[in-house]
Amino acid sequence: MAENDCKDCKDCKKQARWREDFPITWESDNYITRREMVKFLGLGSLLIAGANFMVAGVPHLVRATSYPQTRLGLMSEIPVGGSRLFNYPTGDDPCIVVHKDDGTLVAYSQVCTHLSCAVIHSEKDNALFCPCHNGYFTVNEGRPYAGPPTRPLPRIKLEQRGEEIYAIGVEV
Amino acid sequence: MTRQTQGTTLFTALLVLIGIGVVVQLWLLAASVDAVLRHNVQIPLHAALGSVIVFLINGGLVMYVFWFDKRIKQ
Repeated sequence: MAENDCKDCKDCKKQARWREDFPITWESDNYITRREMVKFLGLGSLLIAGANFMVAGVPHLVRATSYPQTRLGLMSEIPVGGSRLFNYPTGDDPCIVVHKDDGTLVAYSQVCTHLSCAVIHSEKDNALFCPCHNGYFTVNEGRPYAGPPTRPLPRIKLEQRGEEIYAIGVEV
Repeated sequence: MTRQTQGTTLFTALLVLIGIGVVVQLWLLAASVDAVLRHNVQIPLHAALGSVIVFLINGGLVMYVFWFDKRIKQ
């Protein structure tokens, strides 16, 4: 750099003495070097890898949460081929339990996985039916087989203790 | 070609490689979030492992930059 070619002065001889100890111009201070960028990207890479592990751990944390055990009633109260509504795990989560023809019970969240309308049991089609957009889910597995829904209904785990039926968890 | 020009080319190439790695990691992170929202457990785990592998490659490249600087200073 020529003597009179500084970016922030006209004449180097007229500069303050502290300039000799701190010869960095304001403009060059704003530049980012390749090495600084490499370090920044390396640190960013570490942070993103950490974030990815956190995201991967979320489903395991959600699964680890314990669900309450809620009594649904007596098995005989639900007729074969019929259904009954209940709320689980909280009072704001509507669910439906269906007594299948083979005598077993299955329960699902009543919230349609398409746009959250309430699904109802259709005895005629032996399916769970969403009247909003004509979505159909199988009773056996809660899988969608017709209409716009693509994801299955969350299944409610049931336990039979004698004649009594209890909801004990949610299977997503 | 001078050593300085070679160094500039080398570090530009390393910068681009690490940048591509970070973009791949961002893509893996977005895919993980999408899979979690779809209640899929396996995809986020594989994406996290892939992200760590990419990070190790990136870390190796950054370490190479430090090592190169150290060697030049010596």
